[in-house]
Amino acid sequence: MSETSTASVDREACKGHGRCYMTDPDVFDSDDDGFPIVIGAARTPAELAELDRAVNNCPERAITVVATP
Amino acid sequence: MSELKDAESAEISYDFDIHSPDIADTVYDVYAEMREKCPVAHSPRYGGHWVATKYDTIHEVLRNPGVFSSESVNVPGTIGQDGPMIPIEVDPPDHQIYRKLINPLFSPKRMADLEPRIREITNELIDEMLKHEKVDFIDAFARALPSKVFLALMGWDLGDSEKFNHWADTIVLGEPGADEERATEVRTAAAMEVYAYFAEMIDERADSGDAEDITQILINGRFEDRELTQFEVLNILFLFLIGGLHTVQGQLAHTVIYMAEHPEVRKQLVGDLSLVPTAVEEMLRWESAVCPARVVKEDYVLDGVQLKAGDKILIPFASANHDGDQFPDPDTVDLTRDPNPHIAFGAGNHRCVGSHLARLELRIAFEELHRRIPDYRLDPADPPVRHLSQVKGVLTLPLIIGESV
Repeated sequence: MSETSTASVDREACKGHGRCYMTDPDVFDSDDDGFPIVIGAARTPAELAELDRAVNNCPERAITVVATP
Repeated sequence: MSELKDAESAEISYDFDIHSPDIADTVYDVYAEMREKCPVAHSPRYGGHWVATKYDTIHEVLRNPGVFSSESVNVPGTIGQDGPMIPIEVDPPDHQIYRKLINPLFSPKRMADLEPRIREITNELIDEMLKHEKVDFIDAFARALPSKVFLALMGWDLGDSEKFNHWADTIVLGEPGADEERATEVRTAAAMEVYAYFAEMIDERADSGDAEDITQILINGRFEDRELTQFEVLNILFLFLIGGLHTVQGQLAHTVIYMAEHPEVRKQLVGDLSLVPTAVEEMLRWESAVCPARVVKEDYVLDGVQLKAGDKILIPFASANHDGDQFPDPDTVDLTRDPNPHIAFGAGNHRCVGSHLARLELRIAFEELHRRIPDYRLDPADPPVRHLSQVKGVLTLPLIIGESV
């Protein structure tokens, strides 16, 4: 299976905790104000697990996993 | 159909006093009982107020600023501030305007630049601790680190850290044991000294011309098309002090108490410092210092309970973070816990703006303390003294260095 996933961040819900880029720096980075930017995708099972961890650690429930276009 | 409960319903009445010294050691049992029996409870204290204790309910309050205003976040209503603390006591839309100005000052990237300086301050404090067999960890480390880091961040004189500690403790605690009137009096007096100090810093730095200087950035800060007033700058700085000092102090102290009493967990951390990031999150969940309040702006039903416009509600983050419906095995510390979406820094618009700095301080402190002092223990003859209040903390923490239980 060659599924590739990335993240979509609900900008209304996100309050800049930073848990996503702390947890999965391959997919998320921080902008100058501390809000996340999506910079990558997850391909391998290990990478997909890291992305899931980022989703589940978000205290605002602001992240969804989406298939890369 | 179940009937709505309200402030008159006896079954959800609970005599909860957030400032009571009597429950400082047992508040987690109190919260557990409240989550079980009356997850939205009415306390008769301080003129009557609500207390929500479940994770989902507190989340609902935090995420709904239209109903749950931050115009007053304290019970009783003042800690000595002159006007609203900015931006924690400001609602949308003004809140976002202030946050846009303040967020970059505490961004992870800006905080990362402070890391070497924080590590240096941390190690100076540890050098001093290592000269003694027994220290009061509060004086020797937990109070000193956040105040020195705050002064370093501001570029102010680190020699003033003791003054800052005194002010922050007084404003948070009032006068332990004193009545409400006296507590408000000492808080107000301390707050006035803080404002005077800040006003002096503003005067000194008004023309410094240093584009990176935080005081300068605030002085030149704008609220839409006008400059910030001195009153606004003072109330932003006041919040930096209240938000940044006593909170980190309590977090450090609670962590050291836990690690002293649980050598097996401490040894796990000492043996693998790569656990520090998740350990920091777990200890934030385990002991969340802050218990803010909100003002209900319109009649609202929260978890089957009728709240009325004008009511006040306390939302202890510590209780949310011990809710078994959100965290499996919530009363066990697991340094590798994942996921751990705790709300020690709140949630919603008012998420703690200093959270990135707090995390950095905690990470460096956890690393350096456990690298250099792998063994420490409490003194059974001289146990730590905890306090409650809206920022839970520890007053004294006698610690024996170099020994383990």
